[in-house]
Amino acid sequence: MGKAIVITSGKGGVGKTTSTANIGTALALQGKKVCLIDMDIGLRNLDVILGLENRIIYDIIDIVEGRAKLHQALIKDKRFNDQLFLLPAAQHADKNAINESQMIELVDELRTDFDYILIDCPAGIEQGFKNSIAAADEAILVTTPEISAIRDADRIIGLIEQTSIQSPQLVINRIRKGMMEAGDVMDIEEITRHLSIKLLGIVFEDDEVVRSSNKGNPVVLNPNHPSSQGYRNIARRILGDTVPLMTIKEEKVSIWKKIFGFKK
Amino acid sequence: MKSAVSLKGTKEGYQLIIQSSASMQDVYENLKTLTVQLKKDSQAGREIEFHVKTGQRELTDDEKNEMTDIVEDDYFKISSFESDVMSLDKFIKWHNQTSPSLEVRTVRSGQIVESEGDMLLIGVVHPGGTVRATGSIFIIGELKGIAHAGVNGKESAVVVANFRYNAQVRIGDNVHVIEKKDKTNDENSDIVEFVHVNDLHIIEVAPLEKLKTIRPEIGKHAGGIYNG
Repeated sequence: MGKAIVITSGKGGVGKTTSTANIGTALALQGKKVCLIDMDIGLRNLDVILGLENRIIYDIIDIVEGRAKLHQALIKDKRFNDQLFLLPAAQHADKNAINESQMIELVDELRTDFDYILIDCPAGIEQGFKNSIAAADEAILVTTPEISAIRDADRIIGLIEQTSIQSPQLVINRIRKGMMEAGDVMDIEEITRHLSIKLLGIVFEDDEVVRSSNKGNPVVLNPNHPSSQGYRNIARRILGDTVPLMTIKEEKVSIWKKIFGFKK
Repeated sequence: MKSAVSLKGTKEGYQLIIQSSASMQDVYENLKTLTVQLKKDSQAGREIEFHVKTGQRELTDDEKNEMTDIVEDDYFKISSFESDVMSLDKFIKWHNQTSPSLEVRTVRSGQIVESEGDMLLIGVVHPGGTVRATGSIFIIGELKGIAHAGVNGKESAVVVANFRYNAQVRIGDNVHVIEKKDKTNDENSDIVEFVHVNDLHIIEVAPLEKLKTIRPEIGKHAGGIYNG
């Protein structure tokens, strides 16, 4: 039986969709069969980041309304032979087009075929959020070191606690090493203690995330980037490995690197 | 067999003692004969009050009314009913009002934790979280959200906590904003204080050692019988 994990944050723009794409890809790279569900109905993005936009034929609302079968709507990512699938959101509907029980039914159908079902939750705490958490067994909470994101994360944890979901786990995204070291933002320990949930992993701010997402390639495919390493570690922890946390110390750029540049 | 109702004279006055094993029918009948007898014997013009003791039985309002109807006339009065027992509903209500409810949890943004009577919270109230009690609130942990004591207007309620973070305290309709600009270098950051509404109806923070002088009743009723 597959495990359904919702990826949520409350606040928008902290990297839910990017995290879903990258954690999903990383799990697929580890040989797991993964299905990503985009729940941001009306504002879908996950397909774009995975570079699968042009392959959408049917979407989640087509399934719910009986216009298509589930297997028809699933898009296979050809880069990972039969490991990664996407169930895209509808673009011309809104979040009320589907309800909690339909969502539970849908995910239960997927459980038999997949090891992991990652649900990309929309921002906010309205129907879209309720649908996303309804079917989930576990939750990953994405936040950034900004106080506004942390505050929203706190609210979300409170809402998740009222459901049957086991205690959510935290991903601190878009960490700027310099600012954190200077004490301009809350550090990892402070954030984790404040939210008092388990830390699943950290991801550093990295221009490469945007660059590769724009090309439709999740950054995790290229292991040489620090953000990629962060996502790979998160995936390994989901699979039960013990992986030490990455250090936030800003490494000194050696004079040789400055002269000769990075080797790509 | 003991009669269902017996009369007893004490220093405080007359008592009507109801046998808890007797049926209500017997009680009413006994009471009727007793009252008729008493009215014959007593000198007219003297008012007599009875205190009814119902023993191991809690009378319903209807039963009380019935008894009152039987006994009362121009001179006879039932002053009060007293029972050795208490219904579960009443007990729970009384228990909730008088014993502090213990909450061990984190109150997160958007969450509201409410209690009847006093509340002892062990945990953290996050910014945006609210704790509410009809009585006083005692916090072991951190208060960064809102603590609202005396929700139904009980201004004698207090809030006891370590006010080292930005927070808000309300007592009844009074609001006090706690502003800590620099929380890291505050020398007094470990001091526990309490917020109360003073005689001038102004909400203020006071050091904990004054709690006993300002609110001597606190601690006496907690967990025991509250004679208030």
